[in-house]
Amino acid sequence: MLKRMVDMVSAEVFQLRHRVGTWVLLAIWGVLALFFGYVFAYLIDGGETAARVPEGAFVQPQLLPDQFVATIIAGFPFYGGAFALMLGVLTVGSDFGWETFKTLFTQRPGRGQVFAAKMAALAIMLIPFVLFVFALGAIASSLIALREGLPIDFPGPVEIVQGMLAGWLILAVWATVGVVLAVVTRGTSLAIGIGILYTLVIEGLISNVANQISWMKPMIDGFVRANAYSLVKPFGNAAVDAEGPGRFAGPFVSPERAALVLVAYMVIFCGLSLWLLRTRDVD
Amino acid sequence: MTHADLVIDARDLSKTYGTIAAVDHLDLQIRRGEVYGFVGPNGAGKTTTLRMLLGLIRPTGGRIEVMGAAPGSADSLSRIGSMIETPAFYPHLSGYQNLFVLAKYAGIPVERVDSVLAGVDLSDRRDDAFRTYSLGMKQRLGVAAALLKDPALLILDEPTNGLDPAGMAEMRSLIRDLGTGDRTVLLSSHLMAEMEQICDRIGIISGGRMVAEGTVDELRGEDRLLIRADPSDVARDIVTSIPGIASVDVDREGLHLRVRDHATVDPATVNARLVQQGIAVSGLQWERSSLESVFLSLTSPEGAAADNIHRDRLMEVTHA
Repeated sequence: MLKRMVDMVSAEVFQLRHRVGTWVLLAIWGVLALFFGYVFAYLIDGGETAARVPEGAFVQPQLLPDQFVATIIAGFPFYGGAFALMLGVLTVGSDFGWETFKTLFTQRPGRGQVFAAKMAALAIMLIPFVLFVFALGAIASSLIALREGLPIDFPGPVEIVQGMLAGWLILAVWATVGVVLAVVTRGTSLAIGIGILYTLVIEGLISNVANQISWMKPMIDGFVRANAYSLVKPFGNAAVDAEGPGRFAGPFVSPERAALVLVAYMVIFCGLSLWLLRTRDVD
Repeated sequence: MTHADLVIDARDLSKTYGTIAAVDHLDLQIRRGEVYGFVGPNGAGKTTTLRMLLGLIRPTGGRIEVMGAAPGSADSLSRIGSMIETPAFYPHLSGYQNLFVLAKYAGIPVERVDSVLAGVDLSDRRDDAFRTYSLGMKQRLGVAAALLKDPALLILDEPTNGLDPAGMAEMRSLIRDLGTGDRTVLLSSHLMAEMEQICDRIGIISGGRMVAEGTVDELRGEDRLLIRADPSDVARDIVTSIPGIASVDVDREGLHLRVRDHATVDPATVNARLVQQGIAVSGLQWERSSLESVFLSLTSPEGAAADNIHRDRLMEVTHA
């Protein structure tokens, strides 16, 4: 039984890693993480604020290696989530478009096992996403430190691993949002459209309204966005609650509660997707 | 026939979508080792029935047993190979890679992939992406995927769709080979000539209902011998006395002989008998309903009126 599941998961990983779209998503996200996390920040702030600080001091400590975890993970709840959502949609939604579900569902395993294999493969495929972006952060921060003539001191391994786990959890939740949307809409286009709209706009808009209506405020604490940002805030990036696109000003909950809420979302989204897949006809 | 001989046993099967009955109280029993043709016009309910047999669609009524198990169960699916409508594969993977993925899902050794690709003559294109395949190659890959499990039951839905004549002939020959031995083949199509050549038994479905079922010969009915002779009333008396003739009908075309025993009645003997008696025989030919005419008469309102008789001319004799 375990061997069968391992075989199915490896087949799904094989299928996903041979898909160009997977790596296109990773590449675009990498570029965004690099530019918005380091390149633009280094180019813009380096010039304007340099005059306001003592001569010789580096004005942006978040761009240095010792803060790379905090800097890179700040992008996970925002555009990182959007890319994970798209990967989730592609992982399941394409099987509707290509009608490959009918091929998979007529092999030996049941629909539950096929879905479990797909979810496990998706979870595995998120690992290189996390590792790649963290590696980019480490490299970019090291180059900046070298250029500024500052020491290259990385955070401890515990912080790095915690950051990666938090990042993976955030991506996994957004990926399952993509999965459930793909299953509900039985495709990719509408699912990506709705998902991106929700990720980038809807929660933000509702949060703005709810912030001004007292009885709606507790609702914000339950949003994916609020909990994802709450999970990354302890890593200490000042940018998290600053202004600007993708920045989040709160409210925040404790990281433990945030982790639990995000896990609960994953379970709910996976459960709903599985129920729909098992009960609906494959036409 | 015992229950154990049945590979597929569907009773009173129904599937409705709102008020539309796609399949309407259908009974379908398929025996081990036979090549069964499931024919019907577009929208008759063939694919819906096949999907129900595979557990892809849940019936709204009736019961099904496939390979002695519930449709869609691991017990049933592990012994079924299928291709439903268009072959569905990952376009970014090669033919080999697609079958590799399916082999992993089905829990069968990946070494089998190369042999099934060779079986459908796709070895030389095994590493090309599925999206680059022609329609015929896609169909063949679909058959290869269906054979991956070396199934006891093979369900093929319109396997010759989109194939050119050479491809269709090739596919027919492949299916005939696959149907030898203990393997059962359930083949769906609306191409009568194709089914006539391949199948042991045929079920005709129309409007979701089974309207006829039997061997090709049973469905086509008995052969009749058409004789154009003059004078026809004398000719009638002569042929009625020939042993093996069941009945004789006369109309404007000539005499239509229903033959009880093909071994004792052959056109040459009948011709000689008539000529000896001074009858002018201008033509003798077997007339036989084609499966297509039977199909049309059963499935289309105009069909019964048209009732084309397909005549296989065996012999024609002209008297001076």
